[in-house]
Amino acid sequence: MKPELDRSYPDAMDTWPVAKLRRDQLHKLRRVLKHAHRGLSFYRERYDKAKIEADAVRNFEDFARLPTFTKRDVLDAIREKKSFRTGMESGAGTDMGVLCMTSGTLGTSFLYLPRRWAEIRGNSLARAYWWAGLRPGMRMLMAAPAWHSLAVQETRVIHRLGVTCVVPWGTFLPRHAGSFLAAITEVKPDFVSIFLPMLYALLAECRRRNLRPADAFQSVQNVLVVGAPMTPLSRAKLREDLGVKDLFEGLGNPEGLTAMECSHHRGHHIFIDCCYVEIIDPGSGAPLAAGKRGNVIVTSLIPHGSVYIRYDTEDLGEILPGLCPCGKTWPLLEVYDRRANAVEVARKEIFPYDVRLCLDKVPELIHIPFALLRGRRAAEVLKLKVQQPMGGGALEILENQLKAQIKETLGLEARIEWTEELPERWKGVAVIDEDNGGRARV
Amino acid sequence: MRKLRRLIRQASAAPLYQRKFDVLRDDASSSLKAFVRETPTTTLEELIAEKLVTGDPYSSRWATDHAPLVVFQLEYGTETSLYVGLGPDELKGYAEALRRCWSLVGLGSGDRVGIFDYGTSPVSYLASSAFTPYLRRGAADALGCLVTCNDGEANMSQRAVEIIKYVRPRILFLRSDCLHPFALEVEKDSLSLSDYIDALVTAENEAVLSTAERVAYEKRLAVPIYRMLRVDAAMFLAVECPRCRLLHSWQDLFLVEAPAGGSEEGGKRNPAPLVITNWFAKSCPAIRYVSQVKATLEPAGCPRGPKDLRIAT
Ligand SMILES: [Zn+2]
Ligand SMILES: [Zn+2]
Repeated sequence: MKPELDRSYPDAMDTWPVAKLRRDQLHKLRRVLKHAHRGLSFYRERYDKAKIEADAVRNFEDFARLPTFTKRDVLDAIREKKSFRTGMESGAGTDMGVLCMTSGTLGTSFLYLPRRWAEIRGNSLARAYWWAGLRPGMRMLMAAPAWHSLAVQETRVIHRLGVTCVVPWGTFLPRHAGSFLAAITEVKPDFVSIFLPMLYALLAECRRRNLRPADAFQSVQNVLVVGAPMTPLSRAKLREDLGVKDLFEGLGNPEGLTAMECSHHRGHHIFIDCCYVEIIDPGSGAPLAAGKRGNVIVTSLIPHGSVYIRYDTEDLGEILPGLCPCGKTWPLLEVYDRRANAVEVARKEIFPYDVRLCLDKVPELIHIPFALLRGRRAAEVLKLKVQQPMGGGALEILENQLKAQIKETLGLEARIEWTEELPERWKGVAVIDEDNGGRARV
Repeated sequence: MRKLRRLIRQASAAPLYQRKFDVLRDDASSSLKAFVRETPTTTLEELIAEKLVTGDPYSSRWATDHAPLVVFQLEYGTETSLYVGLGPDELKGYAEALRRCWSLVGLGSGDRVGIFDYGTSPVSYLASSAFTPYLRRGAADALGCLVTCNDGEANMSQRAVEIIKYVRPRILFLRSDCLHPFALEVEKDSLSLSDYIDALVTAENEAVLSTAERVAYEKRLAVPIYRMLRVDAAMFLAVECPRCRLLHSWQDLFLVEAPAGGSEEGGKRNPAPLVITNWFAKSCPAIRYVSQVKATLEPAGCPRGPKDLRIAT
């Protein structure tokens, strides 16, 4: 199969006037809604119960009145039906396709992804990789975790853009950092797509081998990072350490969301060709305007395979007001953290990202993994476990610097516990529940 | 013997083989026998040494001007990483080998298949065109199966059990080193495995589960266990047949030798390392690769595949 080198990419859709984009989105929303109401029992039962006619949804306001659901609802449906088939998917078992999975402490849900889905979502994602500098003829480092829908999408991106790829042995866990680093230094990709905690693990591996990260990444022009947010300081430091042109952050979930930074790094442009995003007040469910933080609600506009309509991701985020200076008209989204990662300290709601900002201000602690500790009851003191930076040295000094940063930035007292290693998780470890035997949340 | 001549000619473009073939007599490609007699073998140690000396990721085995479409780092745990590059021929032939493994263990249209292995293992990446760029037809596409793939980490056993319960694959392929944690998880869940699946297939690179272990786990989990052999450096696959319980492989895809197979000891032939020549790997050839697996070649003739190669480990 020849790479599709002839396709010029991307098209002009990302600069369409806003009114035209809205019309296109509404059309796709109504199409997917009809598909769901006619063919997917998960939605039909819910909508019938709520006496909602899919055909009666004529505008975004009507759409915003449809019920939302969470991962818990999907898992309940799986357990009730004792099957991956929850009634959210069409054609499972008849069309060519694969089943991918989600991870998480709540449990595993399955997504049926037929070939048509992979084409549409993958072609859309190809634009994101193009923005990040991936070009025909380049070689990309791709980790192939076949259980994750990103692998299915990247497979399509690579074919679509006519690039070749190198796949290191293993999976996105720090213990495989050695093989990832070898693949980068030996097969010399031009472009790296990676989960952020794994990128940090690669830096640690470089330190272990006494190798300058910029030497290891000599062939690499750009890096696309997913899985956890980079702070502005950590991005700048990563770019400097790796010696790459730029690092781009992608946001996404298998259920439908794709959002991607442009070179202005002012937030993540929502890929409105494939998904529709709303922000709602978690209490009342009311839609929130741009600039207000709330729960991120995602609707996939692809009427194939597993379809998610008004799925409450339980992420805390906001649509940023105004247009991006890059000229693209796709709205900008920022996601701050998982709601479930909130820890209450001294009557304040603290998220791991807030604490990361403090660690970043202590140069030795940039890129160092850490986790918040959460007890059953709200605490007065912020407790965290921080991985000891390599080279050991004056932990006491670092501890005092970090405590001072936390006090200054968050107005909180902190108790810091140094640890040699944190539990290994794909997306890193954000919060450890103390009453859960110290088990980490994913 | 046109096939043989073509393979030798193509492989000669790769520096590693060029050196080996320089010493070949003209009649080396006149027959398989002459080829086996004349052509030097290639060992894992040689691939490592070549990689260390030249720095070439493919150990000087890459034989065309085009860059590989997909490069896979191999699971060898050696002092330096080894790789194979795959072009269209490799992707097609290798996936065909996996399709035949699936067919032999009884998979067909409409079946669901689970895989408890890394996405970077050929057991996974050849399973579906959705998993590997430029793979036109994976085993699942060719047979009409629906496949789901877990990761290859032992601590993913719980999710493997969820796959069993909610996807109900007809067969679960799993890494041999995941068998123990998987069995523990099945027991923790009090799952009657045979209510959900027909069989397990264990797979590993250049090794197979011992018969004693297979029997013990079959008893413990109360499902048949078949073994699959990967030899990743040679892009080779073989799988245990449910009927004759020997490994089957295919002579149109591979030439397999077990050189000491002729020697007798109390009427029993001594197992010898399998030597593999790959017929479809033209860009990244594997010629007389000496694997770490000791086996004997048995006569063909199983009703499940009368012409298949049969290997006893
Ligand atoms: Zn922009
Ligand atoms: Zn047989």
